[in-house]
Amino acid sequence: MNIQALLKTIEASPVAAALRGELPGTEWLFPIVETLHVMALTLVVGSIAMMDLRLLGVASRTSPVSRLSDEVLPWTWTAWCLAAVFGTLMFMSKAHSYAANLQFQLKFACMGLAALNMLVFHFGAFRQVERWDLEEPPQSAKVAGALSLLLWICVVFFGRWVGFTVTT
Amino acid sequence: MFRPVADWLAATPLSKTLSDQLWVVPMSQSIHILAVSAVFASALMINLRLLGVGVSGRSISQLSQTLLPWMWRGLVVLLLTGIVQTLAEPVRQFVTPAFWAKMTLIIIVTAMTALFARAVRRNARLWDAGSSRPPQAKIFAVVSTLIWLAIIVCGRFIAYTWSMYA
Repeated sequence: MNIQALLKTIEASPVAAALRGELPGTEWLFPIVETLHVMALTLVVGSIAMMDLRLLGVASRTSPVSRLSDEVLPWTWTAWCLAAVFGTLMFMSKAHSYAANLQFQLKFACMGLAALNMLVFHFGAFRQVERWDLEEPPQSAKVAGALSLLLWICVVFFGRWVGFTVTT
Repeated sequence: MFRPVADWLAATPLSKTLSDQLWVVPMSQSIHILAVSAVFASALMINLRLLGVGVSGRSISQLSQTLLPWMWRGLVVLLLTGIVQTLAEPVRQFVTPAFWAKMTLIIIVTAMTALFARAVRRNARLWDAGSSRPPQAKIFAVVSTLIWLAIIVCGRFIAYTWSMYA
């Protein structure tokens, strides 16, 4: 099955129809799912920003990086999973329109780069975190923090622009 | 009763300039969401700490000292971008009860947060020890979290309800 056929199959599903408000009693389903997506994504971005600003030496300078990471990142992942679930539901409603939308593609490109940046940091500077836990973070950690902040800001911008540009 | 004000505002040159530039509202909304991220994530972090769930490494006063300034900065950005969006699309905002409910809840939760900030600043030691913390702390945590969630619901529902009233 090719991608286009798969997207059509997704759109033809009852879940997708419900999200388009086509089934009885589902008129408000999309706005509710979108609101839950917004709640979850603000927690993702807000909690990642706490970590990024710490790496940049802007905020929480008295907290060890490793402890902040232990405290904050479980909430980031939980919120990210919720955002992904609600985002997937929204995607299903108009799968082929979203897939063809430039802003949607750019949003996911930015998330991919953010994931890559996170992996580089995790297997790089973060492995020796105990050496700089309470010190000035090394240059590579600052770069990781700055890139992460920038990429997630782009994710929010492109995400919001999807709503203005996606066609039916 | 707000409709005439909205119509008057929509006819002003400033409002026309803002709504003619198609990038202004999406751009402002994106910045608005980034500021919501700072405010809501900070509020939830403090509230979870008050409820004794997670974020145990820092005391209430340390956490408040770090996060409250970001909340105030975020609220200023929310106010400014909110004003831009209201000037650009006054009718959309003023006709729906979702907008007025949102404004009312923002005033309530901002006042609650200011009172909380003052109480912690005045008596950090009392708030930092779980045993001596005022019992209102948990009520504040639960109620303010619910209000923030309701504010997000109202904010998103302005977009979905205004055409029913316009």
